[in-house]
Amino acid sequence: MSVLPPRTKATTKTTTKATTKATATALAALLALAGAAGCSSKASDAKDEGKDDAQGVRTGVGVTEKEITLGALTDMSGVYATLGKSVTQAQQLYVKQTNEAGGICGRQLKLTVRDHGYDPQKAVSAYTELEPKVLGYAQFIGSPFVAAVKKRNEDSKALIVPQAWSAALLGSEYIRVIGSTYDIETINAIDFLMKEKGVKKGDKIGHVYFEGDYGENALEGSRHMAKESGLSIVEQKIKPTDSDMSAQVAALKQAKVKAIVLSAGPAQAASLVGVAAASGLKVPIIGNNSAFAPQLLGTQAGPALEKMYFVASPSLPIGDAADGPSKLAADYAKAYPKDGLDNGVVAGWTAASTFGEALKTACKDKDLTREGVAKALRTMSAYDSGFGVQNYSEPKAPSSLESVILQPDKSAKGGATAVREAATSEAAQSFASD
Amino acid sequence: MSDITDQNQNQKQKQKQNVPPLRAAAKTATRVPRPLTRPGGYGWVAGALLLLALPFYLDTFWLQAGLFAMAAAIGAIGLNLLTGSTGQLSMGHAFFLAVGAYGYTALAGDSEGRYTGLGLPTWLAALLAVVLTGLAGGLFSPIAGRLRGAYLGIATLALIVIGLHVIDNATDLTGGALGREVPALNLFGFGFDRSELLVAGVPFGSAEKLWYVGLALLLGCALFARGVLRGRPGRAMNAIRDHRIAAGVMGVPVARYRAAVFVLSSMYAGLAGVLLALVFQNVTPSQFGMVVSLQYLAMIVIGGLGSVGGAVVGAVFVSMLPQVLTRYSDALPLVATPGTGGVSPGEASAYLYGAAVVAVVLFLPGGLIRLVARRTTMSTSGEKR
Amino acid sequence: MTIFIELLLNGISLGSVYALIALGFVVIFRATEVVNFAHASLLLAGGYITAVLSDDIGFWLALLTGIAGAALVGAAIEFLVMRRYRGADHSVLAIVTIGVDIMLVADIGRRLGTDILSVGDPWGDRVLTIGAVSLAQTRVAALLAAGLLITAFLLAFRYTSWGVAMRAAAENAGTAALMGIRLGRVSLGAWAVAGGLAAVAALFLTVFPTPGLEKSTAQVAMKAFPAAILGGLDSTTGALVGGLIVGVTESLATGYQGDLTFLGRGLGELAPYLVMVAILLLRPAGLFGTKELARV
Repeated sequence: MSVLPPRTKATTKTTTKATTKATATALAALLALAGAAGCSSKASDAKDEGKDDAQGVRTGVGVTEKEITLGALTDMSGVYATLGKSVTQAQQLYVKQTNEAGGICGRQLKLTVRDHGYDPQKAVSAYTELEPKVLGYAQFIGSPFVAAVKKRNEDSKALIVPQAWSAALLGSEYIRVIGSTYDIETINAIDFLMKEKGVKKGDKIGHVYFEGDYGENALEGSRHMAKESGLSIVEQKIKPTDSDMSAQVAALKQAKVKAIVLSAGPAQAASLVGVAAASGLKVPIIGNNSAFAPQLLGTQAGPALEKMYFVASPSLPIGDAADGPSKLAADYAKAYPKDGLDNGVVAGWTAASTFGEALKTACKDKDLTREGVAKALRTMSAYDSGFGVQNYSEPKAPSSLESVILQPDKSAKGGATAVREAATSEAAQSFASD
Repeated sequence: MSDITDQNQNQKQKQKQNVPPLRAAAKTATRVPRPLTRPGGYGWVAGALLLLALPFYLDTFWLQAGLFAMAAAIGAIGLNLLTGSTGQLSMGHAFFLAVGAYGYTALAGDSEGRYTGLGLPTWLAALLAVVLTGLAGGLFSPIAGRLRGAYLGIATLALIVIGLHVIDNATDLTGGALGREVPALNLFGFGFDRSELLVAGVPFGSAEKLWYVGLALLLGCALFARGVLRGRPGRAMNAIRDHRIAAGVMGVPVARYRAAVFVLSSMYAGLAGVLLALVFQNVTPSQFGMVVSLQYLAMIVIGGLGSVGGAVVGAVFVSMLPQVLTRYSDALPLVATPGTGGVSPGEASAYLYGAAVVAVVLFLPGGLIRLVARRTTMSTSGEKR
Repeated sequence: MTIFIELLLNGISLGSVYALIALGFVVIFRATEVVNFAHASLLLAGGYITAVLSDDIGFWLALLTGIAGAALVGAAIEFLVMRRYRGADHSVLAIVTIGVDIMLVADIGRRLGTDILSVGDPWGDRVLTIGAVSLAQTRVAALLAAGLLITAFLLAFRYTSWGVAMRAAAENAGTAALMGIRLGRVSLGAWAVAGGLAAVAALFLTVFPTPGLEKSTAQVAMKAFPAAILGGLDSTTGALVGGLIVGVTESLATGYQGDLTFLGRGLGELAPYLVMVAILLLRPAGLFGTKELARV
């Protein structure tokens, strides 16, 4: 306990001295480092926007003399693995075919894929990692993550094609949703119920929807339709982890609904339809395009799905007899013989070929920079990738107001056939012009 | 280094009011000069300088990954105080991260369109967000104080479920599923935003600027936690963990301590949440699921239970691992490129850190930090108690 | 009224499945005082084995293999991991089970990929209708199976030597060991039994009304946590009661969500946790849990 004061004093002095010395050294070193930073690669990489190549085409990030690099931020190990796998493989197929046909603008396409597993940190990191390397993103799964990078993407101006159809993603020049959004799709779905399935003014319809942007965007559609057509909506909100719909069906049965709209996933569709059929709630059920997967037809709910379930989709089904779908189905089955055909294949292909078309247009305009590509896409007011005509001229509006109504069918390729051709309902028209 | 130790001593003095000032001074005297006269001291200085210089060299990707790791480290230090030092399991850490992140966003954000916000100065909002998280932790204290170990762990699961429910329903504050933009931090007129600033020829974006904020916060948090652990409260916490009844008999107010540590640990998580939100520039519910809580538990076990350094090491390990694996998925053996079947980077990192948790507990009690500590003890002899 | 009865029955049958999972927690906790967070992976393992084999060897044989397989996985976790731990902190062991869970779920998840596997059960989508109330046959089966298993365990804990050994081990491990009880065997047995129970639960979680086994089935195991805790982690009766409370709360909160909109929609998952918090406030050791008395 006894400490000698003089010693304390002395050592304190040394301390101060040592501290000063250390601080000085540190500062000097820091200055040196800062100076050296002048020659760090980071400092020298000046913006290379606006270089002209031999053909007089302006190029920027992600484009070299020989290659155009595109990014794909996908989910192959998380909740959207089913979608991610199909979309990515279809896009890889597009890249392979385009390159075999000579590429675009004299360059080969390259797709850099990052699997974020539906993890926000990984998704945003993957976006940041690829941002200085790619011209744009042909795929971005997970609307919350697209929304998270929206602001910084305004700075970098890279074109993003999200694999999500939420109306909240509209409005940016650089984030372009392909096809009708969930609200429009739901309006068209209810229009189908009213025109062809006997639902009429004054009826109650149930709407079972996921929490989150998908379900809520779809709900906006059904609410609009309810107001417009004098229906009333019985809402049932669920979580992605709920896969037993008994309680929902019991509640809807009690409410005496005449039809049900489902904005959830494939598992919920199988359960809802199965339970409704088994418990005697024999009403038509229609789902958004994400609420179906061909695998469902192999489950116990299969027969009921074929009988009373319908799906609204922004594009023709993969099993359709038209040229686009039949060629893609054949090519995809050849390239990936082990994997099934589903709507993800169509979505992936459409996104890649739309991006490809934008690149071709941009090449013609001699501007392969990011801005050039986004501008080129805006000039495509009636582009048909083989699955439906899309108008990309207005970033604030969905590129299409049409929906195709599908019915599950075990014998068809991709498990579904079209029962109503692509059509825009009047209600969807009026909703969009509001 | 000397700075660090000085600050630490200040902390200690605050904690140990019963220590006569003279003795404290004497301790400073005998301990401070040492690090600098030894090779270890220069190592610390070099490490610190390296950290300070990194923004001049690294890609935004790495800086962002580093910032995620720093936020994780702050949160992990807090959780380690609770779980490692006091023996209370919490699976609700993600909830407190969310309170911090959303609290900051709503306090600093403006009321416009469909959003509600107070529009406070950002530094004040950050501070209040941390206080708010502490309050949230305090509200849970009737349970946090009375339940022990695994019981508390499962009870705190409720927080996550409740939190996500509120986030999903209070859309005017939180923005719902698509999230809400986070206002950039602004200190004394200097904005830590995306606008580019040239420093020594290097363009500084938000990641580069925030890097220094992250470092400062982490340093402060680490020192404070070390002060708590080395002082009287730390001993009381360990006593509760090792022998709760004996601790009670010896006069440690067990329930009060448990509740207090729970609040402190929540505040750490709140600060981590604020930093996370700033780096992310957007808050979305998927950042705060149960998986996140599990990751934090993995961090402190892998790094080393009960030690501040351990929490930092574990946080860096767990949060960097998937990033590194994803980035180099093309080049790594065993890990397949997405789309080719085989083990995806996400799965590979799940295997690795699951295995790391098990392996560390079985074969390396004390965590990764033990490896580091052992080396320093060997090279410097002494200091380590 | 019909809807109330239907929701109630639904909740009870769902709750009995939760009770089976919760019983698994309880068995392990009683034997070793460890909360097993790896239960989700046991569930997935049992379900996976059953679903993969049912096409080739028939449902019942596949189910038995599934139960045996999950029991084996449980025993392996105990033997390879839990037994090797030399420390005394049960919280650390709980975290270790999280590590095990992360690995196993990643692995089985990778095998499952994007498939939805059917288990090929004999009940199909048939429904039992009494008056205006209907209940899926699978749910009736679940109710019966859970009732039977839980009664068996209540009796086993009380009357078999295994049960006595386990109670002794839970009471005081040191003394039990001195009395000649092989703690290793008790704990190994507990893990194996928990695995088997998880496989049975997995069966009822993957049959109608759910479409089949998929990755997210593992998350249902999480719903059994509040069940186990609010009943009391060391009580068999508690597991049963807790499971039923969670099932009924969930079912009613979902069915009546239209009338509870002031709490926000999508209450089904939240409600059981709210009940749990309320009960823990009143009884920190759960409804039937042993209150810890400290004698100094």
